[in-house]
Amino acid sequence: MKKTVNIIVRHIVLALLAFIWLIPIIWLVVTSLSAYKGVNYAHFFPTEWSLDNYQQLFFRPDTAANFPAWFKNSMIIGVFTCIISSVFVLMVSYAFSCMRFKARKPLMSFSIILGMFPGVLSMIAVYFVLKLLGLTDSLAGLVFVYSAASGLGFLICKGFFDTIPVSLREAAKLEGASEFTIFSRIVIPLSKPMIVYTVINSFLNPWMDFVMARLMIKSKNSADWTVAIGLYNLLQRSLIGDYFSVFCAGGVIVAIPISILFIIMQKFYVEGITGGAVKG
Amino acid sequence: MRKILDGLKKYFGDFGKSVAKGDIWTRLSLVVMGAGYIGRKQIVKGILITLLEVVIILAEVLVTGPYMAKLNTLGTVQREEVLDLTTLTKTVNDYDNSLLILLYGVIGVLIIVAFVFLWISNMKAVYRLQEMKENGEHINSFAQDVKALFDGKFYITLLTLPSLGVIMMNIIPIIFMICIAFTNYDQNHQPPTYLFTWVGLENFKQLFTSGTTVTFSYAFVRILIWTLIWAVAATFTTFIGGILLAQFINHQNTKCKKLWRTLFIVTIAIPQFVTLLLISKMFGNYGIVNTICSNLGITDFLHNIGLVSSSLDYIPFLSKPGWAHVMIILINIWVGVPYQMLVATGILMNIPTDQLESARIDGANKFQIFWKITMPYILFIMGPSLIQSVVSNINNFNVIYLLTTGYTTTNMAFANSNAKETDLLITWLFTLTNDYSNYKMASVIGIITFVICAAITLLSYTRMISGDKEEEYQ
Repeated sequence: MKKTVNIIVRHIVLALLAFIWLIPIIWLVVTSLSAYKGVNYAHFFPTEWSLDNYQQLFFRPDTAANFPAWFKNSMIIGVFTCIISSVFVLMVSYAFSCMRFKARKPLMSFSIILGMFPGVLSMIAVYFVLKLLGLTDSLAGLVFVYSAASGLGFLICKGFFDTIPVSLREAAKLEGASEFTIFSRIVIPLSKPMIVYTVINSFLNPWMDFVMARLMIKSKNSADWTVAIGLYNLLQRSLIGDYFSVFCAGGVIVAIPISILFIIMQKFYVEGITGGAVKG
Repeated sequence: MRKILDGLKKYFGDFGKSVAKGDIWTRLSLVVMGAGYIGRKQIVKGILITLLEVVIILAEVLVTGPYMAKLNTLGTVQREEVLDLTTLTKTVNDYDNSLLILLYGVIGVLIIVAFVFLWISNMKAVYRLQEMKENGEHINSFAQDVKALFDGKFYITLLTLPSLGVIMMNIIPIIFMICIAFTNYDQNHQPPTYLFTWVGLENFKQLFTSGTTVTFSYAFVRILIWTLIWAVAATFTTFIGGILLAQFINHQNTKCKKLWRTLFIVTIAIPQFVTLLLISKMFGNYGIVNTICSNLGITDFLHNIGLVSSSLDYIPFLSKPGWAHVMIILINIWVGVPYQMLVATGILMNIPTDQLESARIDGANKFQIFWKITMPYILFIMGPSLIQSVVSNINNFNVIYLLTTGYTTTNMAFANSNAKETDLLITWLFTLTNDYSNYKMASVIGIITFVICAAITLLSYTRMISGDKEEEYQ
């Protein structure tokens, strides 16, 4: 009897918590289905329902809301960043975890110290560097910004590589395998959860980021923007009255693929994080 | 410290020995870097290294050289436009651009430093080659050298590109911005129209003085205190909340664990700029939450007990200091708990069950087990990352910036230094550069933020990278 009460109370509390956590999401979804374009201040649920916002988003792009272009830009940036930074992270992690050379420890300490500089501080200078390279306002520039320094994020992945038994690598070495073979034939196939974690993380990074894109893209042409910049721009004081529910629709569209990725990869995600975290 | 000194001594000692004992080819490498290799029949390698030397020297002399010469003044010739009235064309004089001088100067100096290291290491390598030749050891052919890059020296292949990226994205920008802190680069000194120059410690002095118009020290002290309160509060609320939630979901009595977890994870999956902007609209002065509160009579109740001044007909969730501070921390719990829950779930699943079992047999109750076994275990694993997350909360730009886009300060002392009560150091820095082009003060604030973060990280430094234990797990 006592146990049943416990179970019921437990689930009611969980449902309540989940409800609180989902309120903004629910509001996002229902507002995206509203026929009224501005912010609905009086009611939680829209008075009139319509799918027009989604239609506008995809089929009637205008100078303020050019969602197809933003989505394409973010997709391109996401894919390239994902490839480059995953490769970088795996490379650096292998070098620091599985190889022994004189500069290893100094380099590791140095990269941790570098990581402590506030990103925003160097971003302004990054903008000047990009200008020097002629890459401002271009997708290549943003890919460069997101992926160039990604090698610094090796800690978790290195922690994972540390757990791969050293005897495996030694056995391969006795058989005459070179370090390159060990890397590509032994360590990589054994690190699937870690690779999934790294790939998702680096794909999501440009989707979630707002600051970098804001600083690097100064173009006034909305076709050059990413999803983050574009949606943020829709909430300007002069636009919010006409575009708020379009903003919500855009938010839902961006969230769907990312949520699916997250939910499918949940297991890998947890394994990936703790695999590295156990090392501290 | 002594280890570093000994290392340096050995480094330069070896170099001296190579020069002193080197034969003609080795000594020739002082000038033509590839000579030592060509002399030992490593012709391709010798040519490649000599080519590299030539390219670096040419780049130094032709590209960065002219800028580096002006590095001490950052330029003296201001831009002037002359309108020729007869042809109506504008001619611009040969002006100096302080920004480019500083940027190319920094790059040039870095290249020189790198070159000197390369040059010294090259001498040592060439001398080693000479010794090998004298002892009759095997000298690698070019093909064997390339092969070694995929075997014993694979780390060089692995690290080259990532390091180049880090140098361009992190090292050059950081050095550049540190230099800016010692110049007068602000809205009145913007290249290419105007020049800026070195001013020494002037900007740091400005940060710690307060007058009637310049109020940086007033704003700085308050923002610093709020930043620290925020970082500690945000870290611990989400940390404890996450562990409790994970514990709650993982309990044996909970059904459909996966479903519950997924419900919370959905909130992480939506990009922060969407959810945070949305929440900031929900809690706006005339937002949906205010409507509901006034319908339920909560607004009147708060008027009565004096928490909301009677001149306002709304609850200023995100528009008055105090209210905004509390709301930001609360909303951050919403943002951060699901993520911490995810991390804690992974750790909770790995708790050695024998310890829990034996505690239960010894008669410990649930709370004792949680506080005496589960918590210490989690703290042991997450301790270093906890300190890291205090640091990353100090630099947590998104939450503050996106939640307070509609916030305007009424305090003149804050407004004069372009700050507001809810700013963190990092958002203040962003506003200073992005909206007011006050690069010099932004750099000073950035350096101070770095010092704070570095001091905090030093607490966990030894544990994180000493690497004493990394071999244990292999």
